[in-house]
Amino acid sequence: MRIGTAKTSYLADEALFDTAVQRRWMVALLAALVLFPLFAGPYWLYLGCLVAINVASATGLNILTGFTGLVSLGQAAFMGVGAYTVAWLEINLGTPFLLNLIIGGCSASLIGMVVGAPSLRVKGLYLAIATIAASVILHFLFANWTAVTGGASGLTMPPATFFGTPLDQPGKLYWVIMPITVLMVLGAANLFRTRVGRAFIAVRDRDISAEVLGIPLLRTKLTSFALSSFYAGVAGGMWAYFFRVITPESFPLVMSIFFLAAIIVGGMGTILGGILGATFMTMVPEALKLIVGGLSPWLPDAVALLSPVRTIVFGALIVGFLIFEPRGLAEAWRRLRRFFHLWPFKT
Amino acid sequence: MRMKYMIDRRAFMGLTAAAGMAAGVLAMAPTARAAEDATTDIVLGGSIPLTGVFAFAGEGIHAGIQDYVQIVNDAGGIEGRMLKYVPEDTAYKVDASVAAFNKITSQYHTNLYYGDSTAFSKTINPELERAGTMIMAGASFASELNDPEKYPLQFIPGPDYTEMIGILLKYIAKEKPGAKVAFVHSDTEFGRDPIAKGTEQASALGLDVVETIVTPPGSVDVSTEVLKLRRARPDYTIFHGYVLAPIPEFITQAKQMGMESKFMGTFWSMDNSMVMKMGEAGDGFMGVMPYNYYYDTSGDAPMLAKIREIRPEYQSTAYMQGFLTTMLMTEAIKRTLQDGKELTGANMKAALNSIRDFDTGGIIGVPISIPGNSIPVGRIYKADMAEKKMIPASDWISLGKTGE
Repeated sequence: MRIGTAKTSYLADEALFDTAVQRRWMVALLAALVLFPLFAGPYWLYLGCLVAINVASATGLNILTGFTGLVSLGQAAFMGVGAYTVAWLEINLGTPFLLNLIIGGCSASLIGMVVGAPSLRVKGLYLAIATIAASVILHFLFANWTAVTGGASGLTMPPATFFGTPLDQPGKLYWVIMPITVLMVLGAANLFRTRVGRAFIAVRDRDISAEVLGIPLLRTKLTSFALSSFYAGVAGGMWAYFFRVITPESFPLVMSIFFLAAIIVGGMGTILGGILGATFMTMVPEALKLIVGGLSPWLPDAVALLSPVRTIVFGALIVGFLIFEPRGLAEAWRRLRRFFHLWPFKT
Repeated sequence: MRMKYMIDRRAFMGLTAAAGMAAGVLAMAPTARAAEDATTDIVLGGSIPLTGVFAFAGEGIHAGIQDYVQIVNDAGGIEGRMLKYVPEDTAYKVDASVAAFNKITSQYHTNLYYGDSTAFSKTINPELERAGTMIMAGASFASELNDPEKYPLQFIPGPDYTEMIGILLKYIAKEKPGAKVAFVHSDTEFGRDPIAKGTEQASALGLDVVETIVTPPGSVDVSTEVLKLRRARPDYTIFHGYVLAPIPEFITQAKQMGMESKFMGTFWSMDNSMVMKMGEAGDGFMGVMPYNYYYDTSGDAPMLAKIREIRPEYQSTAYMQGFLTTMLMTEAIKRTLQDGKELTGANMKAALNSIRDFDTGGIIGVPISIPGNSIPVGRIYKADMAEKKMIPASDWISLGKTGE
């Protein structure tokens, strides 16, 4: 049972992980992430990489929507910008994959700032529509700028290489994707301990008050768009290295809705929310498939009979979380932690 | 009185956690089964779109594969080895298809695989070559896949989209030499696939491509496009890259404007039940079909009779596609085993390519050969709304290897 956390300095008060228990759990989590590829098969490694990519992008969207209060439905298109940039660089210049990912992130970031320009004048649903419009334009470019994007058939790229070793398997790419995602998530968590991050929160809570306090609205909003799009661009770049085929249909609007749903289910405005939401949205359909598959010995052709049911259950689960846990999975996690703080004296 | 058993937050979370744990336990089960089956069974894995936008085809494909597997197993398997079909629903999403591939291939020693889309076929190709243990076909007829050098372990169970257009154009050139043709296609990879080469083929056959119209897939308001089409006055209008919409709307408006163009489609818009949904407007709608229809009784077709015996109700063209794909995969396995060779991807593909003048039991109306990655054969069918059937409008048309 924990009865309190004594802090003797401002530095300790500002620490990201402020208790020894938290730090030990973080070490355990990192150890689990390092040991995971040693025990997991190709299927689980594939899902691990996919979850990591989705966590990176959802965290980016959380910076913009959860922390700055700017609704965006352009996240998939920004991922597309990153993916196409990385693919083009890999195919035409053969530059190192880490550099490609950074350039992919930067190019998405620039586009994000342009798309974010209307955010000074419009917000809420209006901004969401503006971002949809931007993603339609970007999809048009993906499909028709054939010299760069390969047009309708897209680009097929070689794998990333690390000192001559091709990173062509989920087991190898895991060592690239997971560390980058961990760094991005830690970066986002730290962001909200800085002046810039707190400005985002101030704008979200009441933009007029924030402006009165001296926070430049346009710059802050554009910075948020740029950062969010950078995350999307890097996630898109990792997606490109993971699948190695990029077409205009790789990043549809429904993918942006997926990320928005992920941060709502996970918990908007919390870093943990982005992680839990993306993990939930990626893994629950797979978990439901496992249940359906597991029923096969008793129910012939369970896959065909229960697949539509599975889709309904997934939808119902999302609705269920919105009703029973409107503050997201992050809040459920906090409640679980509080329970163990007092356990076994109070349950 | 309050409901005693109303679900609350704690119960909801508990149920969700319990379901999660059940998934974990059930995930372990197939691994044990896989170990039992690995030595004897021949495994056909499938990324099948049983939900999502392509579910209408996925259900048919699934049933077709299931039935042929059942027929093979009832006859004692292939050289005594049973065929095991392991499907996974993908909802027609590439990431889910790749996940299904990884899941199935890590649980079973997979020899054959059915993929659900062009994007999946392209994405999984490097892994297919790296593993070298299986051959793959699928729902895609993309022209890009018809390249044995780039896709050495894949094949298309029919003509590719360019070849489908080639078959249509060959028919048109014979029916009306020098005819004016228009293409209407969707703004997707699927829709754009055969258009450039189709235009070249038309010129080579002495046909005049007078208009090419691009629309979003499933678009509703096509009045501007129909006006454009009317100005071009084509003798034949070929739709590609759609399943149904906007074809009926196009035809209805065009007929209302007095156009006498003949409207044609490619495989995915040729299912009998789909065409009949067009109503009166669809009368006379034509298109290319690589397979016989479920109800075809012309010629010697024991497999069609068998299908009708197993399933007395109409089966879609997607069913025929799944059925034939499994038949060809099975034939490749059979030939490989009969030659005493190991079941590697290269050996099975070589066995598949050794198929010459093969009788599909009436699924395709002529004997087929697979010298490369496709079967460039098809027949033109025409909708007869009075009979509520697609009826043959030509004999079987074969193209050369290049589709010329």
